[in-house]
Amino acid sequence: MSRAVWLGVCFCAAAAVGHVGTVIAAPQVIMHVAMARLSQHDRLINVFSFSPRVDAHARWVVRPSPDLAYASCVYDLSHGAILVSAAPSADHGYTSISVFAANTDNIAVFDTFAQPQGVRFALALAGQAVPTGVPVVRATTARGIILDRRLAPTAATFAAADQARSADRCAPI
Amino acid sequence: MARWQFALVIAAGLAVGAGSAVVYMRQGMAPAGGGWMGSKVTGSVDADAWTRARVAVSGLLALNRGQALYFVRKTDEAGRPLRENCRYRVAGGALPGRWWSVTVYAPDNFLPRNDDGALSFDATRVHPDAAGQWQAVAASHPVPGAVWVSTRRAGQFDLTLRIYNPTPAAQADFTTIALPSVTRIGCEGGQGA
Repeated sequence: MSRAVWLGVCFCAAAAVGHVGTVIAAPQVIMHVAMARLSQHDRLINVFSFSPRVDAHARWVVRPSPDLAYASCVYDLSHGAILVSAAPSADHGYTSISVFAANTDNIAVFDTFAQPQGVRFALALAGQAVPTGVPVVRATTARGIILDRRLAPTAATFAAADQARSADRCAPI
Repeated sequence: MARWQFALVIAAGLAVGAGSAVVYMRQGMAPAGGGWMGSKVTGSVDADAWTRARVAVSGLLALNRGQALYFVRKTDEAGRPLRENCRYRVAGGALPGRWWSVTVYAPDNFLPRNDDGALSFDATRVHPDAAGQWQAVAASHPVPGAVWVSTRRAGQFDLTLRIYNPTPAAQADFTTIALPSVTRIGCEGGQGA
């Protein structure tokens, strides 16, 4: 094979590796950055933190919705399972709790339309012990993000959602 | 073959491959009809690596389709890019979910940097007529009497429609959804519809 052909083959192979590698790595890297931001560089792990009302200056994650009140918990299951709970808002507006793995997969989601009394579940890796009688979500990665979204399009509804989400729990069992 | 030539070709190939991935990830999703783009696998465990990468760039922490459907459009009905210096009529009817909203995002995928307090409008703010049809205006300044979403400092922006708790039919087939239209009303400098 001529030298030019060899170089062409090497170029194409490297381009394929670069393309696929970037596509595979990007979600992990971007989630890593998001987890670092939301946990304040690992200072807030397995605990909910509450975002202020979304405005034009919100930069913690792409495409935030100004109509929602957010709370987030960066979880780390490397030392055991955690228990997650969230009460509904007083006006029974939309509230969801979603669990994301470190590769961006939305591995579980609950809402207060299906569970009007509130959401409560254990999050654990395969094989980890969990309490009986509690629904269990099996995580696919040790770390990830839990997000509480509550409908809050006005200042008044945000205040109500803010009060309700203060009871959110995300803590080791 | 000289080693430096080999290394240079490998480096160039990796750079081109990575660059093409970035371009790909910044592109929208599949056409959903009426100028909107959407994805049935956003956030779900069914997403392939390419969809995951796109979601990570433009819709990180998005919900799966059982909870929310996301649609994005960057052009008006005539296919022209949405621009801050133009005014648009956003019009539609009932949408198949418990609640919906339309939000303006700047090209950096964040909200436009303005303090107008009108970054979105939602199902609770529009005023449907007897036939269930509603209208809103996307513009850089308020329009008296109209439901307004501000595009000030949004540059060449996009609109994102979120439908929460969508009906099973909507989840199964986007083409059953009558998505809102976005029609240019006029532009500053006299460039009309």
